Amino acid sequence: MTATPALAAASILSGLLLAPLTPAVIARTKAVFAGRRGAPLSQPYRDLAKLLRKGWVFSRTTTGLFRAAPVLVLACGAAALAMTAPAGIAPGWGFAGDMILFAYLLGTARFLTVAAALDTGSSFEGMGASREVLYSALAEPALITGLAVLARISGSSSLAGIYAGLGADVWMSAGAAVLLVLVSFLIVLLAENSRIPFDDPNTHLELTMVHEVMVLDVSGPDLAAVEYGASLRLWLFGTLAVRLALTPSGLGGWELLAASIGGMLLLAVLVGTIESVTARLPLLRAPLPLAAAVALTVLAYVLAARFLG
Amino acid sequence: MTAGDALLLLPAALPALLAPASFLPRTARGALRLCSLGTAATAALMGAASIAVFTGGTLSTAGGWLRLDALSAFHVAVMALVFAMSAAQVPGAFAEGTADALPRAAARRFGGLWFGSLAAMLTVLISGNLGILWVGVEATTLLTAFLICVRANPGSLEAMWKYLIVCSVGVALAFTGTLLVAASAARAPLRGAGTLLWTGLAASAGSLDPGLLRAGFVFLVIGYGTKAGLAPMHSWLPDAHSQAPAPVSAVFSGFLLNCALYCIFRMLPIVEAATGGSGWGSGILVALGLASLVTSAVFIVLQKDLKRLLAYSSLEHMGIITLGVGLGGAGAFAAMLHTLAHSIAKPTAFLSAGRLVAGFGSHEIRHVRGALAASPVWGAGLLVSLLALLGAAPFAMFATELMILRTAVGAGSTAVAAVFLAAALTAFVGALRLVIPMAWGPAGETVGPLGASAADRVQVLLALLALLALGLFLPAFLAGILSRAAAVIAGGTP
Amino acid sequence: MNAPMEALLVALILSDLALLGSGRLGSCIRTVALQGILAGLLPLAEGGAGFQILLLGATVVVLKGFVFPRLLGRAMRESATSREVQPLVGYAPSLLAGVAILAGAFWLDGRMGGLLRSSGGILVPVAFSMMFTGLFLVVARRTAVNQVIGYLVLENGIYAFSLAAAREIPFLVELGVLMDLFVAVFVMGIAIQRINLEFDHIDSGRLTRLRG
Repeated sequence: MTATPALAAASILSGLLLAPLTPAVIARTKAVFAGRRGAPLSQPYRDLAKLLRKGWVFSRTTTGLFRAAPVLVLACGAAALAMTAPAGIAPGWGFAGDMILFAYLLGTARFLTVAAALDTGSSFEGMGASREVLYSALAEPALITGLAVLARISGSSSLAGIYAGLGADVWMSAGAAVLLVLVSFLIVLLAENSRIPFDDPNTHLELTMVHEVMVLDVSGPDLAAVEYGASLRLWLFGTLAVRLALTPSGLGGWELLAASIGGMLLLAVLVGTIESVTARLPLLRAPLPLAAAVALTVLAYVLAARFLG
Repeated sequence: MTAGDALLLLPAALPALLAPASFLPRTARGALRLCSLGTAATAALMGAASIAVFTGGTLSTAGGWLRLDALSAFHVAVMALVFAMSAAQVPGAFAEGTADALPRAAARRFGGLWFGSLAAMLTVLISGNLGILWVGVEATTLLTAFLICVRANPGSLEAMWKYLIVCSVGVALAFTGTLLVAASAARAPLRGAGTLLWTGLAASAGSLDPGLLRAGFVFLVIGYGTKAGLAPMHSWLPDAHSQAPAPVSAVFSGFLLNCALYCIFRMLPIVEAATGGSGWGSGILVALGLASLVTSAVFIVLQKDLKRLLAYSSLEHMGIITLGVGLGGAGAFAAMLHTLAHSIAKPTAFLSAGRLVAGFGSHEIRHVRGALAASPVWGAGLLVSLLALLGAAPFAMFATELMILRTAVGAGSTAVAAVFLAAALTAFVGALRLVIPMAWGPAGETVGPLGASAADRVQVLLALLALLALGLFLPAFLAGILSRAAAVIAGGTP
Repeated sequence: MNAPMEALLVALILSDLALLGSGRLGSCIRTVALQGILAGLLPLAEGGAGFQILLLGATVVVLKGFVFPRLLGRAMRESATSREVQPLVGYAPSLLAGVAILAGAFWLDGRMGGLLRSSGGILVPVAFSMMFTGLFLVVARRTAVNQVIGYLVLENGIYAFSLAAAREIPFLVELGVLMDLFVAVFVMGIAIQRINLEFDHIDSGRLTRLRG
């Protein structure tokens, strides 16, 4: 076990640097399914660099909120990353209740995005904002309940404590509950990051967009911040699920870091596969998988309470 | 096989054999005639079995799995009466050349299902095992379902579907109750198969787990109560009883409901013994009885359809019987007498109503006018049996309702008595208001034959005289039978 | 409470949720068939091995897994409906109701304490939740086939409950119950076909002629 600062810095930096890679892997996977060659994996980095070189254009109806929001969203994401990326890897990282802070940092980021969208006064963005909030209203109970289940099983309310408490023996007795939580986290990931079957990231028709339409009016470095923030968000949800899946392996320190990065890339391939084989759900039927996710987490809670006495 | 065993098995075996045999006759009329004659023969066997029990004591065979005691023998006798009365009218109800005529295939199906239901209801009554009892009740639901829609029209199909689903769900809940009762006997010193026998449960009532038994009783009451049409599980009753052909409605109202109530009344003494005589079980029955009375009173006042009126009247009477049994003592005796009287009056009412409906061409009360003028036999049959059902003196049901009222007041539950009185009065006034124009006045337009054969006249006359006689004086042997049946409910040795 | 039994029970709950969330008749029939097979395997998972238990389990699996789906499938094909028309309670609210039923069933089981023998395991609460889910489906769905499916779920729940509550039910009674169930589904299938013949639909929500 090497020193905590090195591990912590490595996990945070790997998150910051590799986050844009995940959308690239997803796009590559979809291209493979479609028989195309697809964009190179460095494309998102080049897009970010290009956007940073451009200038801002602000609409006259917007206020300071619109200008501040992208950076604030990025700040929330970075804070969440700093808080949770080293959890379980660097020993002693984390504090009691940090999983709640994690969930609500992500929630604050979403709130800021929605507020900025409403700030533009455009009906497209307003429509996107209302849809986004609808999905999140159902996804958040699933996320919180899932975290509650994990806390119940492992006996700790800190993410680090959760990962530490879910050893192989716990999986033997309450494994069904953890599996159900994992499945519902995957559904929440798809919903919160605007992936099929909830939202098509490649659509160009504004009336069918949910997330992309909220950032129609963002330009230049702000757009870079928004896109980078989105990939950070995907990285955060992804590592939550991947670390959970890696808990029975008993790895620690550098091996765990490497394994979780590899797991993230695998998860990206999985998301790309899901995007390629499923169709997007009609808007009114989209709440159904989210309700299922809530159902699964409640079921997991009930089972966990029963199995652990 | 002893004579006692034969008496127990034959009444159930005969209809079981006749059911497939009903597919043999070559004409519709032949099938319907087989139906009446076969039922008459079975009714005679049932009567013989009942008399054997009344004179000789409980009959039991197959290790207690089949038994007839005073309560079940009484119900067997009532069932024989109801089925005999209804089956005698089957050829007339589906007579050729009328609008209700049945084609041969339908008539054969009718006969087969009729005998099947007869056999199933008998299984319920002669079974000494809770599990077989349940199998019989579920079988009656399934077999009688298609009797409702033997003439397939939108109304009867809708009624049949509602009946099928609601009663199947109810009976499934009753099975949960059966399981809970069996579970409550797990700690009692009973052998494996003995956990479901009445005799075993009654004997070891003290060592049954009260919590499980209570839960089981609740499920049984809800489940069998659905089959008996007690409120609030009665939603299927008006539809099924009004859409079915007259002989089927007569059997439904005249006996099938009582059959389901019998299952509940069997459990009552066991529950009372296990809960230390606290009256918890009886309280539930009183509540359900009152709920049925109130619901039926409300809907009787609002009625526009003759057969639905009779169906709600059945709801009212099941409520009265349940109330009587719940109050106990003289109330249980009155409930038994009420069962007998109701099972004579209701089939007569339904059979007469069936003929009148066929004659006037409509179910609706406003189209059935001047029945006495149009057909003295059926008009009198409907009028007098309805008056008896409403509790008019000097018919039997007036006396029984008075007895139940007195029991309620005597036990100090004046609120119960008040609600009972209010509901009965509301039903009386509401129904009478509809009956008077139906019976008297000039005859309305008739579209079909309203004749009555000599046999029909005799049947109606006998039924009405019996109702009058029961109200005026009760022969000693009948009183003895009724009190022994009531004693079984109260927990005495069967 | 052993691992195979737990896995079976969790699978049963998941099949319940699948039924609540879906309106496609074909997939519902397959799900309820799977549920029947899982329920039939329960006594074997609990460790029973007598000839009667094996026979009963095999009969349940064959009946619920193969015969009933065929009967229901025939009714569905003849009536040419392939999905629920418009349930009384929507699918997402049904799922949430199913979750509430689940939580309620576990609470109820906690209240009943150690009354039933297999306390400490999840057999009784799962049985309760299946029963109430079945009742909910009967009430909330309008297509006749879906109502029959709800009835089958209710029966599966009662079967699971019988394993917990009363092991010594005579073999004859168990067979009688199964036979009744078979006849019930058969009768319901025929009833659906006759309704379809008369009305040209099997939407029980439109059977509203009788009122009052």
